[in-house]
Amino acid sequence: MPSTGKLRVIRRVNLLISAALLAIASISPAFAGWGMPEPITDQAKRIQDLWVFTLIIALAVFFAVEGALLYAIFRYRKRSDELPKQTHGSTALEIVWTTIPVLIVITLFSYSFIVLRDVEKKAPSDALSIEVDGFQFSWQFTYDLARLGQGQAPAQEGTFSIIGTAAQEPTFVIPVGEPVEFRLKSNDVIHSFYLPNFHYKLDVVPGRDNRFVITANQTGEFTGQCAELCGINHALMRFHVRVVERAEFDKWVAEQVANKATVRQP
Amino acid sequence: MTSIAIPRPAYAERPWILDWLTTVDHKKLGILYLYTTMFFFAVGGILALLVRAQLAVADNTFVNNDAYNQIFTMHASAMLFLFIIPVWAGFGNYIVPLQIGAADMAFPRINALSFWLIPPAGLLMFSGFLFGGASDVGWTAYSPLARSSGVGLDLWIISVIILGVSSTIGAANFMVTMFRMRAPGMTMFRMPIFCWTMLVTAVLQLLATPVLASGLAMLYIDRNFGGSFFDPNGGGNAILWQNIFWFYSHPAVYIMILPGMGIISEILPVFARKPLFGYKAFVFATMGIGGLGFSVWAHHMFTTGAVLKPWFGFMTFMIGVPTGVKMFNWLGTLWRGSITFEAPMLFALGFLSMFLIGGINGTFSAAVPVDFAIHDTYFVVAHIHYVLFGGAVFAVFAGLYYWFPKIWGRRLDERLARIHFALQFIGFNLAFFPMHLLGLDGMPRRIATYSESSGWETLNLISTIGAFLIGVAMIPFIINVVMAFLRPKDQPNDPWEGNTLEWWTTSPPPVHNFDSLPEVHSERPLWDLRHGKAAH
Repeated sequence: MPSTGKLRVIRRVNLLISAALLAIASISPAFAGWGMPEPITDQAKRIQDLWVFTLIIALAVFFAVEGALLYAIFRYRKRSDELPKQTHGSTALEIVWTTIPVLIVITLFSYSFIVLRDVEKKAPSDALSIEVDGFQFSWQFTYDLARLGQGQAPAQEGTFSIIGTAAQEPTFVIPVGEPVEFRLKSNDVIHSFYLPNFHYKLDVVPGRDNRFVITANQTGEFTGQCAELCGINHALMRFHVRVVERAEFDKWVAEQVANKATVRQP
Repeated sequence: MTSIAIPRPAYAERPWILDWLTTVDHKKLGILYLYTTMFFFAVGGILALLVRAQLAVADNTFVNNDAYNQIFTMHASAMLFLFIIPVWAGFGNYIVPLQIGAADMAFPRINALSFWLIPPAGLLMFSGFLFGGASDVGWTAYSPLARSSGVGLDLWIISVIILGVSSTIGAANFMVTMFRMRAPGMTMFRMPIFCWTMLVTAVLQLLATPVLASGLAMLYIDRNFGGSFFDPNGGGNAILWQNIFWFYSHPAVYIMILPGMGIISEILPVFARKPLFGYKAFVFATMGIGGLGFSVWAHHMFTTGAVLKPWFGFMTFMIGVPTGVKMFNWLGTLWRGSITFEAPMLFALGFLSMFLIGGINGTFSAAVPVDFAIHDTYFVVAHIHYVLFGGAVFAVFAGLYYWFPKIWGRRLDERLARIHFALQFIGFNLAFFPMHLLGLDGMPRRIATYSESSGWETLNLISTIGAFLIGVAMIPFIINVVMAFLRPKDQPNDPWEGNTLEWWTTSPPPVHNFDSLPEVHSERPLWDLRHGKAAH
């Protein structure tokens, strides 16, 4: 049976915890993505779930250790000239606080390994595939008319490109709800294709064939930019993506094809 | 108490300036190291303020893109190569021989060479500004971008190679000193923990630095003699540079933080009046970090698509374990202690609370898919500054306040120190915490500007204010040092009731360090003398 003094302390701690939870709940809409921008692809959603899981463990560790540190600082400040007990260590404790972190990191690794496999799944062979060329200092997005996705028989052969400049940021278009593959190419230096709402980036490396797949799950216009220092105008290598319904995408493609200037017959 | 008498050599008097230029005394060299590195800390800090001034508001034109790339490149290069790495050599030079009861380093002339390579290398690196621009490709100097940069990069390469030579021969010197020159009775497991961290750091330097030197030589050949090591068009491989660079530069992060951990581990026991909790566990954790440090380099390269992600992700998670062990040992040292809060302890506790964040926010990059999101964003900038500023720089100041009475025979003022600490602590968190949010929101690092529509302006402005507050925090520190130098030397041998042998001799110590040495029965010989072996 705890004494009344202890009970009062427990009650106070309970009150504090409830107040803290309430405070967190009240400001949580501001942290809807837990600091991350809105995920607009299935893969980004998986990555955000992993981020939130990792963050919760990280915050738990942070508050536990920082709390213990603050407690020690206030509780064990010098009160008398009496020497504290000279404890040199404890093998049992060392084992405990080695084992617990090992278990935590194995958990985190396992979860992140599963997510890694999922977000790195290869594209189906009939998926829309876009070649992304990074150059100093903009991007070129090349569509292959034979690989426009959704199992459609190619209407015609050839390619068309959206070419940007540092002053004229390019906008490319993808359809929502189906896998889209990006093939990254560079002929000058390393760039990095980064779209924050994808929660993903992949380096554009000369001499490497890097590709990744996303499946957008909402429409809208989003902005990305180069994430690897590539020279003087690195900061200006921005681009935009418009995610649209399939019908609108097909219409957009038709417009691009009609604009003969961008179509190159093989 | 028995003590061992040490024969006293005779010294020839030399003019003051000649004495400092030709000295092979580890203490004078240590002081030269500290002055030089603090100078470059100031230079690097001013460059950081230029970066923050440029990023304070959206679409800013305070400095142009070309200058910006040079400024942040030289900020990082100065801070890492000319401040943090050699500042530990400075502390190590002064303190290690004293802590192990030696009269000097094992190779005093090599020691002098190690130091005297640094000022010319620093000037060489910065001389790029006089020849059409300093290096502007980041301290990581990724190829192929680094193939086409100006002559400033050649100067940078040569400078870093010279600094590498300095740290490699310095490492050999530290290792031999600690292996061969310990006082009678001081077994390896009675060696002060700061020495242990310097020893592991030296091993890392000896193994890693030559690898960087080889990479830099290849880069120099690529740039000047038509090589194509890193040029895919000539049959080379752009990713090869990153592998070589990070094979050095990840262990280098531990080179930059382990001695800081050692300083903290000296200070906590003294001001908590308890021994370091789990001394041996701490030593093994240090070795563990050193060993694992060589197996995690490619976590800087997950987004290249060219590395074995699960392996490097797993090892990166694992390196959190020995780091955690250290954190718990520090907490165990404070637990049930009798803690006082003099300046060294304030900065040591600042280290604990901030390095904790730097440890935790690093694990996000081990979760590879999360790294896809945060890599090369300001989240990583936040991480590295919580480790290297919240960790290493707080440890530098902890060490300066702690050993100032020993090195200069005067004590720094506690009130000014508290002002310094408060300003630095607040400024640091204002400057670097918002960077987490900026990075998550997608702000890439190393961009010279951002548009207003990005929504990054408020957090950047807060960060800039914090950075300037850190600058302001240096004012009470400088006043404190200047005022201390105006006072006479009045410090006793052992002003803090220290544990280790440096507090046995006078403040500052004589040229030959010790007239006598106490017997060493534990890692706290002076504690044993004060309280008797039974109290150990």
